[in-house]
Amino acid sequence: MIVDGRYSFAAPRETVYALLQDPEVLVKALPGAQALERIGGDRFEGVMAVGVGPVTAGEFSIHVELHEQRPPEGFSMRMEGKGTMGFVKGAATIVLTEEAGVTVMVYTADLKIGGKIASVGQRLLDSVSKAMTKQGLEAVNRELQQKLDAHAPQAPHTPPGPDRPTVRQTSAPDSRPAPSMRSKVGGPRVVIAALAVIIVLLVGVCRGLG
Amino acid sequence: MTTIFGARTRRNEDAKLLTGRAQFVDDVELDGLLHVAFLRSEYAHAKILSIDTSKALTRQGVVAVFTAADLGDYWRPGPLLVAPPPIPNLVFNEATQVPLARDKVKHVGEPLAMVVAKNRYIAEDALEDIVVDVEFLDAVVDIEAALADDAPVIHEHLDSNLAAHAVQTKGDYAAAKQEAALIVSRRFTYDRGASASIETRGVVASWDPRAEQLTVWDTTQAPIPIRNGLAALLGLLESQVRVIAPFIGGGFGPKIMMFYPEEVLLPWAAMRLGRPLKWIEDRQESFTATTQERGQVHDAEMAVDAEGVILGIRDRFVHDTGAYDTYGLTIPINSQCTLLGPYRVPAYESEFKVAFTNKTLVTPVRGAGRQHGVFVMERLLDIVARELGIDRVEIRRRNYLRPGDFPHNHGILFQDSAPLTYDSGDYLPALEEASTLIGYEDFVDREQPRLRAAGRQVGLGIVSYVEGTGIGPYEGARVTIEPSGHVRVATGVGTQGQGHFTSFAQIVADQLGVSADAVHVVTGDTAAFNWGTGTFASRGAVVAGNACHAAAMAVREKTIRLAAEVFGVSADQIELVAGHARVIGDLGRSMSLGQLATRANPLRGAVIPGTEPGLEATAYFGPDRGSTASGVHAMIVEVDPETAMMTIKRYVVVHDCGRVINPLIVEGQIHGGVAHGIGNAFYEQLVYDDDGQLQNASFMDYLLPTATDVPRMEVAHTETPSPLNPLGVKGVGEAGCIPTGALFAQAVEDALGGSGLEILEIPLSPNRLYELMTQARSTL
Repeated sequence: MIVDGRYSFAAPRETVYALLQDPEVLVKALPGAQALERIGGDRFEGVMAVGVGPVTAGEFSIHVELHEQRPPEGFSMRMEGKGTMGFVKGAATIVLTEEAGVTVMVYTADLKIGGKIASVGQRLLDSVSKAMTKQGLEAVNRELQQKLDAHAPQAPHTPPGPDRPTVRQTSAPDSRPAPSMRSKVGGPRVVIAALAVIIVLLVGVCRGLG
Repeated sequence: MTTIFGARTRRNEDAKLLTGRAQFVDDVELDGLLHVAFLRSEYAHAKILSIDTSKALTRQGVVAVFTAADLGDYWRPGPLLVAPPPIPNLVFNEATQVPLARDKVKHVGEPLAMVVAKNRYIAEDALEDIVVDVEFLDAVVDIEAALADDAPVIHEHLDSNLAAHAVQTKGDYAAAKQEAALIVSRRFTYDRGASASIETRGVVASWDPRAEQLTVWDTTQAPIPIRNGLAALLGLLESQVRVIAPFIGGGFGPKIMMFYPEEVLLPWAAMRLGRPLKWIEDRQESFTATTQERGQVHDAEMAVDAEGVILGIRDRFVHDTGAYDTYGLTIPINSQCTLLGPYRVPAYESEFKVAFTNKTLVTPVRGAGRQHGVFVMERLLDIVARELGIDRVEIRRRNYLRPGDFPHNHGILFQDSAPLTYDSGDYLPALEEASTLIGYEDFVDREQPRLRAAGRQVGLGIVSYVEGTGIGPYEGARVTIEPSGHVRVATGVGTQGQGHFTSFAQIVADQLGVSADAVHVVTGDTAAFNWGTGTFASRGAVVAGNACHAAAMAVREKTIRLAAEVFGVSADQIELVAGHARVIGDLGRSMSLGQLATRANPLRGAVIPGTEPGLEATAYFGPDRGSTASGVHAMIVEVDPETAMMTIKRYVVVHDCGRVINPLIVEGQIHGGVAHGIGNAFYEQLVYDDDGQLQNASFMDYLLPTATDVPRMEVAHTETPSPLNPLGVKGVGEAGCIPTGALFAQAVEDALGGSGLEILEIPLSPNRLYELMTQARSTL
């Protein structure tokens, strides 16, 4: 399945790129991240415990390999996730472009999805993954706004958001238990950002299954 | 003789079933029972690099974990169940399923490992401890792409995904085409569906080391072949293995498949562990681990004269057999043969290819490919009728075989390897009756125009079909009069709700002069009867029914002979009435069947040489070839033009299954079949993505028709007895679902009359129909 979309951040892309490397920020978009470890070069392994509400869908082990890193323009990655709910395997690309102080992030993932996620969660994959991706990105965006507010009280006036710049006043998914983050990522932490897009899919699907 | 045969008798088994006292496989509880769960492939096509079970083995409560590597010599591909008929120049490449995948997985749901644990919870948790490392391979999903030169090859011992290639011809199609006034050709598709039995599969196996006896409870339609196969596989005498197929909550075909991996693994592991084992398939497993049916693509062409009379048909189709072709060519040959329907077809050129794909195995499901052939034929006739301006009923009338044409040899081979020969039939009366019952002329002339004027899209469908039923090789039955006076009938076929406990009882009751509820039928237990093949191809009543009849006649003769001896009269002076043998015209000289049974098995004295003790007989019946049932279905539907949702207003079935043993049971079979057919036509579809992942493996997404979607049916019977068996019966089990797709297509087209819409595919769904309606609008 192809998952794609775009999201606008009201900040220059260097700022956004840096943000996408900050695990403290990204973990909020990644409920259930338990560990992420660089195992050499551009390869990473991690574990996500995916649980939503009363339902624990189980752990996903994640293997990611980054390539074509072009800061601050974007990067590509190959990833594999395996868990009791099924597997995800595929590739994703994230491209950042900037115009008038607004950074547009375009993400595309081509995924093979199998196991229960595919066979039982199919009808939820599309809508839930979109909704969850949006929520995750909005969480990132809130972090961005906070940082900008802290460092430069005059944030850009262009409002952020998906597709067209609109102010999103959605209720934050903060009511969910705050995930713990034991990131050991030493290298380009941007991997977490890329994972965000993918993992929210899993979370979304598993939530749908729950 | 009484006439219990043919009576609308209530079913003997229903009290048990309705009060929850019937035993199903999952009801079997044994001391020390352990539970089994299977790790199934999540991948459609992948090379297995390693399977690590070490963590699972350390989990508390886990008794054993087996992979292919643990099976040793016991690991072997299953047998080819049905050898292909001797069609000239036939290509058939065999590849059958394996107990546990060893080097490669070939479809989602294929078992990789088996966990035995104290309970199912632990067993399922332990599945999560097993680590399987695979290398992904490109999946083969589309039937036609499977046969492309560059398609990945699924079975390494073959050089392509071609499972079979067969051509059958009669007459000279090329010449027919030359003479034709009109030639129509279309592409038809028919996609996959599940059988969705209410009871999933299950196996319980128990080995008694002291008695050296293996007992297996199995949801199979073929307990005796399972017994024979297990004995051979395990190196046991057949008498050391008892297979019981108790009450089964729906078979519909997939339960005739053998040997499922679970069927060979549980008995093996039970012997090895010395503990009884149980596995019950859960619904999600069932979606990928139980066999499926339907996927075919046809390119068909019909040549007719100016009057719409068929001169010839050419059909080329591809059939999807899934990952293995264990069931041989039964389904595509059914499609190929059943296409000819009740019609005279002078020239027929039919070619099919069977393709392996990375999907669950395809084996017969109720209808077993017949519906695909009927769909192609009936659609072609509808298109010809439209093009020539001939009425739908009239074009069928013009092409029917006539009563004088029987037996009619179509000149090609059927699935049982015998020539496709219709034994008897009379199709026109059924068509006329169906037209009358549905009010065809009134609907077309008045009702439809009136409703159309009111803006309502209402349409009528009326289609014909035949069904090859009751094929050999044979079945047997043993009939015994017990000292209690009860009659016991044992037969080898399994029973899955067909009413065998009643219809077999009716056949026997007539011969022995007892009521149907005094006859106790035992089916599906190899300890009770151990010769036979199973329940499939709408053959129970025909083959086992006639065996019951023959055995009952033999017991009748023994009983009369003994009674004549007791009363000192000749045999023709004895009648069997109300559980007694009595001298005709002398009410005082009467003896109960129970007393006679006791006399026939004396404790002292001598049995006369050349005679047998007891009032018991065993008989077998094997027809030369199948008998051909037929029918006409008609319905009226209304389509909502906004939502494309459809409502069935009326549904009429006129059916000919030869002599009817019990109209209640025949109608029940038809009702169930039609419900199945409605699901097939408008609700059910197994959707696979390009990677071979089944996308709708739950009843949230795989839609079955519910009670509100299945209309009340008006069922009528015509009877042309089969000359091939003494009872004159034909099969009926699959009939209801065979013409439904074709019927839906015609009725929906009629409802949307003038929209230019042509329905060339099944299943439809409101969604799909909406797309087709939109496409038709845009091309007008």
